[in-house]
Amino acid sequence: MTAQPILDAIKQKFGTAIPRADIPANNRLFVFVEPPALKPICRFLFEEQRARYVIGIGSDDRPFSGQFLVAHNFAFDPQRLLCSILTRVGPENPAVESVASVIPAANWAEREFQDLLGIQPRDHPYPKRLVLPDGWPDGVHPLRKDVPWNHCPPDYDENREFAFDEPPAGCLVVPFGPFHPTLDEPAHFRLYVEGEMVRGCEYRGFMAHRGIEKLAESVLTYNEIPMAAERICGICGCVHNVAYVQAVEQAAALAPPPRAEYIRTVMLEIERLHSHLLWVGLACHIVGFDTLFMQSFRIREPIMKAAEAISGNRKTYALCLVGGVRWEITPELKAQLRQVLDRLETEWKPVAQAVLQDRNLQIRTRGIGVTDPELVRNYGLIGPVARAAGVDIDCRRDHPYAAYDRVDFQVIVADEGDVWSRLVVRVKEVFESISIIQQCLDQMPNGPLQLSLEGELPSGRFGLSSVEAPRGESHHFVITGENNRPRRWRVRAPTYQNLQGIPAMIQDQQLADMTITLGSIDPCFSCTDRLETIDLRSGQQRVFAPEELVQLARNFRKTP
Amino acid sequence: MRLFWIIISALSNMFTVLLLAPLLEGILRKLTAWVQSRQGPPLWQPYFDLLKLLGKEDLESGELPVVQQFSACLALAAPLTVAGLLPLGSSAPLQERADAILLIYLLVLCGGATLLAGLSAGSTYSLIGVSREMMTAITLEPLFVMAVVVGALNIHSFRLESVLDGSPYAAAHFPWSGLIMLGVLAFSLQAFVNRVPFDIGEAETEIMEGPLMEYSGPKLALFKYAQMVRLVIFAALFINLFLPLGNDWRFPLGLVVFWSKVMLLVAAITVIAATHARLRIDQAMRYFAGLAGISLVALVLAVCGF
Amino acid sequence: MSFLSKIREVMICLGAGQVTLPYPVAAAEPVPERFRGRPLFNAAQCIGCAGCANNCPAREILVFDVCQEVRIMKYLGRRCTYCGRCADLCPEKAITMSREFETATQTIPDLQQNLELFMSTCQRCGRCFTEPGPLEQLMLKGYRFDALAEERWVYRSQAHLQNEPLVRDIDIELD
Repeated sequence: MTAQPILDAIKQKFGTAIPRADIPANNRLFVFVEPPALKPICRFLFEEQRARYVIGIGSDDRPFSGQFLVAHNFAFDPQRLLCSILTRVGPENPAVESVASVIPAANWAEREFQDLLGIQPRDHPYPKRLVLPDGWPDGVHPLRKDVPWNHCPPDYDENREFAFDEPPAGCLVVPFGPFHPTLDEPAHFRLYVEGEMVRGCEYRGFMAHRGIEKLAESVLTYNEIPMAAERICGICGCVHNVAYVQAVEQAAALAPPPRAEYIRTVMLEIERLHSHLLWVGLACHIVGFDTLFMQSFRIREPIMKAAEAISGNRKTYALCLVGGVRWEITPELKAQLRQVLDRLETEWKPVAQAVLQDRNLQIRTRGIGVTDPELVRNYGLIGPVARAAGVDIDCRRDHPYAAYDRVDFQVIVADEGDVWSRLVVRVKEVFESISIIQQCLDQMPNGPLQLSLEGELPSGRFGLSSVEAPRGESHHFVITGENNRPRRWRVRAPTYQNLQGIPAMIQDQQLADMTITLGSIDPCFSCTDRLETIDLRSGQQRVFAPEELVQLARNFRKTP
Repeated sequence: MRLFWIIISALSNMFTVLLLAPLLEGILRKLTAWVQSRQGPPLWQPYFDLLKLLGKEDLESGELPVVQQFSACLALAAPLTVAGLLPLGSSAPLQERADAILLIYLLVLCGGATLLAGLSAGSTYSLIGVSREMMTAITLEPLFVMAVVVGALNIHSFRLESVLDGSPYAAAHFPWSGLIMLGVLAFSLQAFVNRVPFDIGEAETEIMEGPLMEYSGPKLALFKYAQMVRLVIFAALFINLFLPLGNDWRFPLGLVVFWSKVMLLVAAITVIAATHARLRIDQAMRYFAGLAGISLVALVLAVCGF
Repeated sequence: MSFLSKIREVMICLGAGQVTLPYPVAAAEPVPERFRGRPLFNAAQCIGCAGCANNCPAREILVFDVCQEVRIMKYLGRRCTYCGRCADLCPEKAITMSREFETATQTIPDLQQNLELFMSTCQRCGRCFTEPGPLEQLMLKGYRFDALAEERWVYRSQAHLQNEPLVRDIDIELD
């Protein structure tokens, strides 16, 4: 039992403030607390128990309990426990004490539920709008249950402009994005630049909202969500797919068949392989080394083919359903996969050797975008970013899921915390992934792929699931619900936390290093932005005629 | 009659360069693709690219449209004029009349056109690009000047056609200075032709082509063309200064030898560009400063007759 | 060491040879057996159970009962994600995931498939088949009557959206 001692510790200190606590499994803990005790308990867990902050979640529970729900999730990595501190707040002017002043990592999460649910984080250090678009009217909170999923607020103000902060004196504002060749997706950084040095920045993102969470709780069904979840991200889609399904399974106390667990592990590792190779390529492209970019894509190609042969698609595997997987790995596919892995290993070894000794690459990546364990802890940084800074966390080992508790692997750690270390970590992790897949193929038991479910899933249960995506931990939180769909599904993609560390990483660095620093966390803005859809122009599409566009472009110069 | 021939041969030089520059770019692209295990575009793609850009509407975007237009023309005109002066596998058009100093001025003008382009566009990224180009130019141009001066010192003349004929090796004693300058220029050639690892001013993944960011259509075509011409003339200059062997062979042979050397040089530039990462501006400056120091040594040696 | 690693890198590059294909000019490589391409609907096998329509995550399959005997099923194809759930769930295997993937078009209706089905009156419960699990069956609790002309998915469910009983699909203007 790992949950009990931690619960006891909390109880001992805050006994009266805890009306209820659940330990649904050995490695999960749900503690319901009184609202005033939320901040002290979070502080206690973060500072004294050294828990890692995962995410804060708001939920509209009014149709069921008449109240809003706020949760802060923590991970106890050495104790292998995921823990959620939940509290209920009243339906009128909901507000909770902000924890962001104690736990900087909670900054975005609290602003997010402020935007989407109207739950006020009191005394938040930086309570600016985060998620909603600039023109969105105040007081309309799209994730509330009484707002229909396709609601277009009539008073949406196209002309309202976002109030950016004043740049520090003597600094030039360099807009980085929303469109920039190294940003594959829209995000806007306002860099404060002095000469070539970046002195600070302000982030304005969340431009790629597709409303997946709202859709999931109002339109889609349990078994349709995995296909939507997969489309949260173009690179770690399978991670979201698996994480969602595992969260539901955990909430409903379902155990998928062992063969399904192994197949999930294999597919997740295939995804990690392709993602690591892709990232090494992209990092090289960002520093202008296109040849290695092409070569790592070449080496990556057989992996994509193998994934296509197994799942029917190169990238969107559509792998999981609640209680199992859809694709069988037949003996022929096994043989094919083994061949691909052997070839990958022999091809990647010389590349790794060459890259790891390339001084030309090192002078562009060493000492750049440096993080230290303190920064990692404060901003909840995860994945290769944390491991490169010497913080030994990996969900595959710390919070084992699927078949990871049955395979043997090393967690690669480096200690310099710079871009180079991240490159080293990811280059080396490729070999671990190959070994994991080989072990899975050896050990895979026979049996069914899909659990046969009896009746509906129970409603009102909580599920947590952390899955180690190639770029860090993906965390999913599910409250099961009625009508064959969850009441709330919260996705915390790895970039959500890692991006919050970016301002600290680029501070006092050269402008030229901005792109590679940002690239080094492997940012995925669509993962981060997944949340709310808003059909901005009240559902109308506007098609500009070419002349009109030309006119617009010309006039733009005259009207600053 | 003499003037007529000078004009004819200068013009024919320019046309040759204009005609061959996109082909060399095509070879460069094809070779890059080969190194990167790709198919690569057809050899003639740069011609099509230029035609396409030239055929597009001339949009105005930037602070000073007139200056921008002028800078685009200047960007191509400056290196073309250089091309008109160079011996390209035949004798130089301007015998006994041109001065190597003129060459230096014209080459500075090439860089100046890019600066002007960026400054007149006036967007944030072009200004960053301009400041980077400026820093590069300040440390880079002296290297070339130094090479020409070393050559001039060794032959005691600034006459263009004599300087551009392996002059750095013409020292009285063993040509230490020439060999050193050969090394210096070989190690900075990538920067002169704006290729990785020194394409800092136009770094696409960092500052989106920097000074050229606001340009499109015909103006961009001129800049792209200028870039290709620069590749040819710097390769030609390098060959004339340091690898003159065989340039003065009889008519068709000299031409063939010269252009083969240009192609080999372009191939070398390509392979280096394809296997390196871009440096940061401060790293590049330190690198150039080191080369400048070495070239000073060469200058001293040249003065002493080595 | 750096120089050596440069040489190594060049050797890796040259050892690989040319690997890209002249794709649009030459044909693409064959796709594997399980490839999930554009779903094809076979009207001869379809029994009109609408299991595919009810479990399509992208809401791309519409059902419209013209009269007692005729049901129209329409596959829109405009934002189909090729997940293959329709093919999984079809009790008659009337849907196959084909090998087609070159489906780019300027006119979205090119991708549409219409099925006009004769429905004889069922003398019994009206449920002609059972879906694989409870998570698929539950969607049938409501009542569907999609707007074919507007290409919109309409579903009257018992959702808790009191002020909006009609859950609508996204309206995309097709021209």
